Amino acid sequence: MEQTDQLILDTAYRLFSDHCGAEVVNQAEIGEPPKTLCDAVMAAGLPLAWVPEKAGGVGGSLALGFNLIRQAASFAVPVPLVDTMIANLVLAESGLEMADTWAALVFDGGQLPVVDNGTVTGVVNNAPGVVSGSLLVVPVSDRGLVRVATFAFDNLAIEECESLAGESRARVTLEGASPVQLSPVVDGMTEDGLRQFCALARASQIAGAFEKITALTVGYVKERQQFGRPLGKFQAIQHKVADIAGESALANAAIEQAIRMLSEHPEPFSGDNVAFLPVATAKVVTSEGAATVSRLAHQSHGAMGFSFEYPLQQYSRRIWSWREEYGSEFYWSERIGMSMANDICHGRAEGGQVWDIVSR
Amino acid sequence: MDSIRFNFPAPVIDESVDRLRKDVRSFLQEEIRNGTFRPGTDCWCAGIDPEFSRKLGQNGWIGVTWPKQYGGRELSALHRYVITEELLVAGAPVHAHWIADRQSGPLILARGSEEMKQTILPRIAAGECFVALGLSEPESGSDLASVRTRAHRVEGGWEITGTKLWSSGAQSCQYMTVLARTGERNEKKRHEGLTQFLVPLDSPGVTVRGIRDMSGVEHFNESHFEQVFVADDAVLGAVGEGWKQITSELALERSGPERFLSTFVALEKAIQQGAASMEGHQARVIGSILARIRALRAMSLGVAALLGQGQSPDVEAALVKDLGTRLEQDIIERLREFWPIQLKQSFGDELQYLLSDSLLRQPSFTLRGGTNEVLKGIVARGMGLR
Repeated sequence: MEQTDQLILDTAYRLFSDHCGAEVVNQAEIGEPPKTLCDAVMAAGLPLAWVPEKAGGVGGSLALGFNLIRQAASFAVPVPLVDTMIANLVLAESGLEMADTWAALVFDGGQLPVVDNGTVTGVVNNAPGVVSGSLLVVPVSDRGLVRVATFAFDNLAIEECESLAGESRARVTLEGASPVQLSPVVDGMTEDGLRQFCALARASQIAGAFEKITALTVGYVKERQQFGRPLGKFQAIQHKVADIAGESALANAAIEQAIRMLSEHPEPFSGDNVAFLPVATAKVVTSEGAATVSRLAHQSHGAMGFSFEYPLQQYSRRIWSWREEYGSEFYWSERIGMSMANDICHGRAEGGQVWDIVSR
Repeated sequence: MDSIRFNFPAPVIDESVDRLRKDVRSFLQEEIRNGTFRPGTDCWCAGIDPEFSRKLGQNGWIGVTWPKQYGGRELSALHRYVITEELLVAGAPVHAHWIADRQSGPLILARGSEEMKQTILPRIAAGECFVALGLSEPESGSDLASVRTRAHRVEGGWEITGTKLWSSGAQSCQYMTVLARTGERNEKKRHEGLTQFLVPLDSPGVTVRGIRDMSGVEHFNESHFEQVFVADDAVLGAVGEGWKQITSELALERSGPERFLSTFVALEKAIQQGAASMEGHQARVIGSILARIRALRAMSLGVAALLGQGQSPDVEAALVKDLGTRLEQDIIERLREFWPIQLKQSFGDELQYLLSDSLLRQPSFTLRGGTNEVLKGIVARGMGLR
């Protein structure tokens, strides 16, 4: 990452520390919308992190964006920052106009709606970040090639739902809908490339949440006394904390590797073979780790972790929802297994060795 | 504390690293074709072949990071990493020189006398001199500070008496690094008064007895030292500093690829055999294993990069070993679903041999070099819980 990237991350860190405490996150779900946080995130230009400077954005690297996503997740930021970042990047890649509001990528990893004669038809079941007034950015398929369409929130049939963690997820139905803007075919963008990119965003979020869960658990077991000493002095608890730390470290190693690879990739939305394995690895490892990390953290926290007031649940509910999105560990591990088998059968590995592909 | 972040920087892989990987790979393929060795599981512990180690030495693949004046090639830690992982996945018989290359050589380089460096290191690098570890004892395992082997000062040197247990490969080694008590034992300062010695195993008073393990291999040893004399310059480092030296060696020992690739050779064979009919559930199991291996490798390479930057990633190294050794075991348990393991190693095809041997060897993975319970304790200490 560049030095300016680090400055942006530091700014974001201060902003989240000031405006996104545990109480703000809880209230955003059951009471007051986080207006101060929303305004601050917008004013700092964070949703434009990935938009090139010539298009009015921050011009940050892919690594900056994914690290910002990971950091936001470690605060359980309850505003559609990640969704808007990705939507804005897709708009920039496809040469369409951005709006200075929240935006949402209407894509859940499933099949793209189809564009025919300028109108769009299809259903997206779990579109994230679709909030009232947001700009809807819909990747669509034109005979298998990806184009991007935009719509205003009010012009579509939208059924608003919430994820396990209370994040907005919407069912968007398009029936011959006329877009406000429709891009030509976007070079270097495929349906699977979009799926991979979004999967890495979720993997980064899970890794960010793991960091916070580790810190919460370490903090709690140091403070909480039972049988006359802190819980953290018991070997049984120490081993749970070590296992949480292990999954967190593994998740970080996996996403950092995938982010490095995507940063060097000339077409990060291409979904080609070079991108596939690191990204799939990251999503498998983070999604698999979610069960271990949440189970051990809750066990270490006792009843306190189960209460709504204590922040742990905001993170465990998030990782349970993020692990399913854009392909669970089951989806991506099956693809890794099949892709490896195909490579071996079709002589795409040196010496016919699995290791040749694993070590690339 | 807002969050706890582990960083695993990317290793810098230049063309020379890639070239070295290719060279090692094609050498190993050639050796397998010629029938020089039969690929085996857990080869860095179970595969002893001094002749093969000598061949690697002749190719310049042992002690590669050491100074040229001591027989090394002054290559990077990453060069060594690539050599070791290629040897592991090929299942090559590398145990004879493994400990000397990984641990004892660097220890001699850091703490040994000039004479030791000049006479021993070039022989290790040539694949002609092997070193065993003398740490555990009959009454001393995880609680290593309780060792009873004693070294007394005598004229011109030291006299060592005691018994070392589980020293892998000692029967083919010329030396053993022996941890002995040189100061009075103090319950409050248990880690003081320990010293490491480099003991020639042909010294009078040394007996080495092989111990057969449950997989049928005789690689363990019980070594007895009865008033064994060693000269003053057999001391490695400073008298009384043995504990500190050992703990700093361990980061090197704990994060290498042998901590997650011990059973890869069985996985490789299984996937090759299953590829044509791979689908659904089997693909998910295989894919999940491969993802975890890739992530662990990124982590392990990250620790290597941190070591290269001069940092001491003790916690990260302990995590690699804890996660990696459990994965090595888990791989075999998960492959069982598709390839049941029923017969002893010598019955059945190549894959069956590798699976049976892996199963019979895997209990040691989470024990050797510090049990996973000890490792988790190190992690907990690093996080401020102890």
